[in-house]
Amino acid sequence: MNSRKNKDCRKQKKNTPLQDKPFGRREFLKGAVKAAALGSAAMVSGCGTGLLGSSEEDSLRWKEYFKKHYRLMTQEEKDETVRRLERLARLRRGVDIQMSSKGPIERVLFGYAFNLTRCEGFMECVAACVKENNLDRKSNTQYIRIFEMEHGEMSPASGNSKYFHEVPVEDHFYMGVQCFHCEKAPCVKACPTQATYREPDGIVVVDYDWCIGCRYCIAACPYYGRRFNWNEPYVPVNEITKKQHYLGNRMRTRGQMEKCTFCVQRTREGRLPACVEACPTGARVFGNLLDPKSEIRYVLKNKKVFRFKEELGTDAKYWYFID
Amino acid sequence: MIKKSPGKGLIAFFTDIIRWNLSGGIVYQLYLCVLAAFMVLGVYAYFVQINLGLSATNMSNIVSWGFYISNFTFLVGVAAAAVMIILPAYIFKDKDLHKVVIIGEVVAIGALVMCLMFVFVDLGSPLKAWHMMPIIGIFNWPTSLLTWDVIVLNGYLALNLMVPAYIVYCHYNHRKPDERKYRPLIFISIFWAFAIHLVTAFLYEGLPARPFWNNPLMGPRFLASAFAAGPALITMVLVIINFTTTFKIEAQVFNKLRRIIVVSAIINLIMLFSEIFKEFYLPTHHSLPAVFLYFGLDGHNSLVPWIWTAISMNLLGTLTLAVNPGRNNPKVLFPACILLFLGVWIEKGIGLIVPGLVPSPLGEVVDYAPSWVEVSVTLGILALGVFVVTMLIRPALIIEERFGVEQGT
Amino acid sequence: MKISAFKTGLFWILFLLLLIFSWGYAFSEKNSVVEIYKNATAPFDDEKSVDSILLIPDNTVPVETKYQGGFFWTETRKDKIERFKCSECHNNKDVKIARAAEIAHGDIILDHGGQDKPLSCYTCHKKDDRNFLVTEEGSKIDMDHSYQMCGQCHFRQKKDWVGGAHGKRVSYWAGTRVVKTCTSCHDPHSPLFEKRWPKTYSPPLVN
Repeated sequence: MNSRKNKDCRKQKKNTPLQDKPFGRREFLKGAVKAAALGSAAMVSGCGTGLLGSSEEDSLRWKEYFKKHYRLMTQEEKDETVRRLERLARLRRGVDIQMSSKGPIERVLFGYAFNLTRCEGFMECVAACVKENNLDRKSNTQYIRIFEMEHGEMSPASGNSKYFHEVPVEDHFYMGVQCFHCEKAPCVKACPTQATYREPDGIVVVDYDWCIGCRYCIAACPYYGRRFNWNEPYVPVNEITKKQHYLGNRMRTRGQMEKCTFCVQRTREGRLPACVEACPTGARVFGNLLDPKSEIRYVLKNKKVFRFKEELGTDAKYWYFID
Repeated sequence: MIKKSPGKGLIAFFTDIIRWNLSGGIVYQLYLCVLAAFMVLGVYAYFVQINLGLSATNMSNIVSWGFYISNFTFLVGVAAAAVMIILPAYIFKDKDLHKVVIIGEVVAIGALVMCLMFVFVDLGSPLKAWHMMPIIGIFNWPTSLLTWDVIVLNGYLALNLMVPAYIVYCHYNHRKPDERKYRPLIFISIFWAFAIHLVTAFLYEGLPARPFWNNPLMGPRFLASAFAAGPALITMVLVIINFTTTFKIEAQVFNKLRRIIVVSAIINLIMLFSEIFKEFYLPTHHSLPAVFLYFGLDGHNSLVPWIWTAISMNLLGTLTLAVNPGRNNPKVLFPACILLFLGVWIEKGIGLIVPGLVPSPLGEVVDYAPSWVEVSVTLGILALGVFVVTMLIRPALIIEERFGVEQGT
Repeated sequence: MKISAFKTGLFWILFLLLLIFSWGYAFSEKNSVVEIYKNATAPFDDEKSVDSILLIPDNTVPVETKYQGGFFWTETRKDKIERFKCSECHNNKDVKIARAAEIAHGDIILDHGGQDKPLSCYTCHKKDDRNFLVTEEGSKIDMDHSYQMCGQCHFRQKKDWVGGAHGKRVSYWAGTRVVKTCTSCHDPHSPLFEKRWPKTYSPPLVN
């Protein structure tokens, strides 16, 4: 009798854990395997279609993934990475580009001035910048913003940047805003990996491949000077500007920051940035601040100049003046 | 004392933990399944985000930080709040709180894991995260505050893992842990807890570009709200433990926690009032973010119902806990803590990040609401956090109870 | 015991103060950009520093006024005038083509000087030598050097144009300075820029 009872008890005890274990463990393991599979699939897809592309492309991308920060590279390493990127552009997009790794010119500090009287809101600069810098057409990224402002207030907050009508409108003036290339740039200070930094010729650049996309720099910038690639940027192949610079207008991918570089691919060759060259009214002045005979020095000496949000102490190299 | 045999070793420790964690009643198994389901949802949504880029979220160049960073900010506070139990337990040798200190530390670990995950899913190029590591990458310390944050968060995670693990492992092996080994680490972790939340606050406080954040009260405010919301969460966890396990918690514990919460919550409300006064007494252009948050700006008022709900919940929760109508009855404490916790979550999460970024530096106003991807990934990470806490608390409590019985306490 | 504790405390306070001051000094070392450029008085040799090829456009003339860096060039105008030389029609011979004025100059809209003091053709064009422009005193100005004539009234703009605050440089910021002349941008008969639609627009700022 007793043994029968005990048998029953033991059976009961055995049953409950058996009931619980398969239900709990199996479900959990299923979920874990699913998660692991999805996770690894995500990682692989995140790497791109590496498994489907050619092996040359894979080996180039492998080398690109492990490369150093551009600033720490020797000139040979810079030339190597530039060659790899040119080759990748050929393999991926079928485009032949010329990428430069040219360094800064000695004794040059770039400065910029914007003539508030002369700007008529034509936005030729915006269009030229988009074309020159291979900006994403899908998200309509624009480094330059033009504000149509009513007389009486100087703050872009009171202006309208989304205008699209005949310009100039009476009793309005136009103010262009872009990255001001601050000497004491808050974005440079904020970046945890030093992906964005100030080059010796004064421009603040981003090593796109070093950027991890944390976007602290956007929070730090007081001028809305920086853009993030939220999606994979798209430029029609026939519109790609082929003369590129590693720090400038080369094609970026999603997850990287980008910004105005004062057209480093042009300015280091002695050419004017695209916005300055495109402006039909000559409202933009660009030059070498360390050259006493430059136009920018003339403007700073003879015109009443001011900088945007000067009280924040960013020491920008972009001045506004009124004729 | 009967000499107990020395421990069964590290491998047995881990196998026992896994065994304890996977066994339980049907409700527990279902609970694990629900967590697993949310985690799978989160992974799937993250997979979508990896493919599309961060455009799968509703963040933009103006609202460049959104739901992920909101939750990160709030959870760092929850993690720091463990100090509010550690401090009385170890410095003031409070026996009641000493009993539940392990739960506080485990909640901190769960919160920290969630914080690190939120930062990870927010990155645009997560595969390049190694760029931020010292030696193999570039670690921009001490200039960038994000690097300080990385150090303090990982350090606090390490501290909160090591000390309880050592104590619990000793208890598992039926012996008392050597206090000299972990007491200095406890002291360090007390200061470190303040550090993690101050550094996270400085992340925002140090940006003159964002006038809503650029005020000296951010640091203290973060601490006050953390020490209100964190112990509230711990109270909720304790209530759950009290009702679902054999680990019983006395009313004094709840009373002490309640007092800590009430003091912090009142300080938090005073600081909130100070901020509101500064913004609205003589409003400047710098007050526009606060106007956007509390009243809406140019027709954009998506955050208005949220912030007012949050403040009401905060006030109601604080009042209930202060007046204590239920005399520490968990059935009254639990909803009051939920109210307070949710109120602080909204106010310190989305109610802090989005107004800091809107209006943009050029004055443009946009709305923000998280997309399904962001919500799913968040749910997945929250489920992961709860999962981690469960996985750590269950064996810890089993071991603690067993050790308590052995010691005759 | 008390004294040594005091000494230790004092030592730490002094050490911290030293740390703070040295940090502050490190921060104050960097000059502002305004100081930097004001102190940059040494001449900048474009030819030596910039090693790229800086192409000078073909049709340029040296400007007769020097700027702060010496000589500079400007774009020519004569090659852009369709029917230059003007003296091919404007001579002592009879005009044999019907409606010649309309054909040759029909596209000119004269809107210069406003409603109060509008300019007439002979304000700028030399009556007896149509290949040239004329100043108030009556001296001849070559069409390629129209700035000398425009600069009579628009002397502020001319000063700024010479210095660099008005007008535009052609293609390069470095090297030989070539700038656009007045007529490169302004139609001399109707110099105010016409209203037009912008080249592009900024879409709403949502993702």
